Amino acid sequence: MRGTDVRLDHVDVTFGDFQAISDVSLEVEPGEFFSILGPSGCGKTTLLRLISGFQEPTRGRVLIGGADMAGRGPNRRPTALIFQNLALFPLMSVRENVAFGLEARGIPKRERLARADALLALVALEGQGAKKPGELSGGQRQRVAIARALAVEPAVLLLDEPLSALDLKLRQHMRAELKAIQRKTGVTFIYITHDQGEALTMSDRIAVMNRGRVEQVGRPEELYAEPATPFVATFVGEQNVLIGTVAASAPGEAAVDTPLGRLVGRTANGAPAVGSRAFVMIRPERLRLSDGAALAGVVSRRDLEGPFFVLHVESGDTRLVAHVPNSGAIPEPGARVALAVDPADMLILPEGETARA
Amino acid sequence: MREILRAFGGPLSLVIGTLVGFWLLILVAVPQVAMLDYSLWSQAANADLSAAIDRAYAEATMAEFDRRAEANPAKATELDEKLTALKRTIAELEAAQTSPPKTYGLQNYTRMSPLHAYIFVRTILSALAVAAVALVVCYPIAYAAAFAPTPRRAAILLTALLVPYAMNELLRVYAWLMIFDYRGVLNSLFAAVGLADLEARRWVPFLETQGALFTVMVSVYALFMVFPIMNTLQTLDPHQIEAARDLGASAWRIHARVVIPHAKPGIAVGVITVFMLAAGSFAVPQILSRGTGGDWFSQLVYRQFFEANNWNLGSAYAFSLLVVSLAIVFAMMRAFGVSLREITK
Repeated sequence: MRGTDVRLDHVDVTFGDFQAISDVSLEVEPGEFFSILGPSGCGKTTLLRLISGFQEPTRGRVLIGGADMAGRGPNRRPTALIFQNLALFPLMSVRENVAFGLEARGIPKRERLARADALLALVALEGQGAKKPGELSGGQRQRVAIARALAVEPAVLLLDEPLSALDLKLRQHMRAELKAIQRKTGVTFIYITHDQGEALTMSDRIAVMNRGRVEQVGRPEELYAEPATPFVATFVGEQNVLIGTVAASAPGEAAVDTPLGRLVGRTANGAPAVGSRAFVMIRPERLRLSDGAALAGVVSRRDLEGPFFVLHVESGDTRLVAHVPNSGAIPEPGARVALAVDPADMLILPEGETARA
Repeated sequence: MREILRAFGGPLSLVIGTLVGFWLLILVAVPQVAMLDYSLWSQAANADLSAAIDRAYAEATMAEFDRRAEANPAKATELDEKLTALKRTIAELEAAQTSPPKTYGLQNYTRMSPLHAYIFVRTILSALAVAAVALVVCYPIAYAAAFAPTPRRAAILLTALLVPYAMNELLRVYAWLMIFDYRGVLNSLFAAVGLADLEARRWVPFLETQGALFTVMVSVYALFMVFPIMNTLQTLDPHQIEAARDLGASAWRIHARVVIPHAKPGIAVGVITVFMLAAGSFAVPQILSRGTGGDWFSQLVYRQFFEANNWNLGSAYAFSLLVVSLAIVFAMMRAFGVSLREITK
C-alpha cells in the first residue's frame, strides 16, 4: 500500500442557501497523518464526504494523486472511509466484513478470506474472524473497521471521528495503534475530529476549521505556539483571553491596555494599529505564582488535576486560569496571589471570534 | 403475569387479562373448534326412512279403522296395544329423520373431487405467485419510501400509498373491473388506437386471464407488503449502505448483501401476509372473474356453505385450506431463516 496526495482547490459546497464549505484549499502530502480539527457543524464531515465522493463540490476541484475526482462516485475513488459509528455489517462475520471490499472486486472467496485473515492479524484480531461484530468489544470493532477499510488497499484512508464512542483509556490506546498502523502501511490518513487532544497527539499536520473555512494549517506544535487567529488560539489548548486596546505597537511587539493593566507581548503577524481592539492570549501553564505584583487576584477555586493544580484567580470581572505544578505550597481558595508571565508567553492577536465566545 | 400485575395494578390487570382471554377463547379458539367439529361428522340423509314412516302411518290408520269396527273387547285391547306401539315407532322414525345420527370420521376430508383438488392446488400456487409478484413490485417502493431524501418526499410517497386504502376494498375491486372489462377503460384505449373494435366485439378478454386477477390482488394487498419491508428498512443505518458503496460494491451487491439480509424479517412478514390474504381472498375472484377466469378455492367453500348447504364439507374445505396455508407459512419461515420471535418484533 502506498499513500497519495490529496488536493482541494478553492472548494465551495452550498446546501440551499447554507454555505457548508467556503473556498477551502488544502494540500495533504502522500503518507501523511493529516487531521481536520473543528467544532461540530464547522464543515469537517462535509469535507470528508467531498474527498470520499459522497458529496460533489459546488465549485472547485478535488484531486487525489493528481487526478481530478469530478463525477467519480465513492466506489470508484482510491479512498476508504471509516464512519463515526463504524457501520460494520452486523449480519456478516468479522471475516466477511473485512473481505467485503474484495468480494465487490470479484476476488475469489478463498483468496479474499485469506487476505482478510492477514489483515485481521495486522490489527491483532487473529482467530476472531468467525464472530459477528456484535460479539466484539468497542476497541475490537474499531480494529475490524480499520481492517475492512485497509482491505481495499486505499491510497487515502478517511476517518470520521472513529474513536468518539470509546472510553478514555481505550481511546488513548487506539490513538497509538492508529498511528502505528499508519506508519506500517504508509497510507495517507485524513482524520476528522473535534477533540484537539486527539489531533495534537496523532497528526503530522492539522487544519483547524471554523464555519466552513480553514483557519490555519500547521504542525501541532506550530498551532499550539503560533496560532494565527483568536479562534485557533482558543480552540487548540486552553487559553486565558484578556481583551483590551492597543496602546503601542512595533513589529513583533505591542502593548495592550487590559483590565489587569498594560501588558506587553509579542504579536503574531505584523504590528496592530494603535487604538484598535486586541486580545492578549496567555496559556494557563505559562502563568506561575510569583512574589511580584504582576497580575494580582484572589483564588476562587482550586482543582487537582493530578500532576498540576488548576487555580481560578479572580481580579475584578476578569478570571484567569493557571496550571500550577503539584509541588510545594498551593494557595487555598480565598488567598491573595500574584501571577507572573514572560512577555514572550503573551500573544497579541487582533480581536476576532474565539472558540468559547 | 406477575410483571403485568406490578406494572398496571390489580383492576387494570384484570381488564387486560379478561380482554386477552376473551380474544383467545371467543374470537380464536371457539370458532376454530366449532369448525373443526363440523368438519369431522356427517349426517346421511336416509331415503328409506321416509318410506318406513309412510308405511307406519298407513298401518296406523288401518289399525284405527279396525279398532273402531271391532266389538270384541279382547281384540279391541289387542288393537289398542298395536296402535300405541305404532305411534311410538312413528315418533322414533320421525325423530331419526329430523336429526339423523351424526357419524364422526374423516369422511369429509377424503371426499374432495379431482376438480376441487385441482382448484385447491391452483389457488395455493396462485397465492404464492401473487406474494412473489407483490414482493418484486413493493420492495423498490418500500426502499424509496424508507430512504426518501427529505421527510417531505417520504410524507408525499406514504400519502400516495395510503390514499387508495382509504377506499373500501370492494370499491377498489370494482374500479379494476371497470378498467379490465370488455368495454372497459383499457379496451376503450385500445379501440382508440385501433387495437380493438368494440362494435365487432374484438377486444382483449382481460377478465378471463389470471393476469388481471394477479394485478388486482397485488394492488389490493400491496400495502401489506410495503409497510413491513419499509419498517425494517427504516431501522437500517444508511451508513451501512454508504460503507458498502465506499468499499466498491455495485448497487446490486449492496442490496443482495446488506439491504435485503437486513430487511428479511419484514420481507417474510409481507410475503406471509399477502400469501394468506390472497389464498383466502373471496371478493376479488368473485367480482372480477364472474365465472370466466376459473374458481378460487374460497369460492368453493362459500358454495358448500350457502348453496350446497353442506356445512360439514364446507368446514372440512376451509380447515384444509387453513392447515395447508399454515404449513406453507412455516415452510417459508424456515426458508427465510426467520423465527417467530423475529417476525413479531
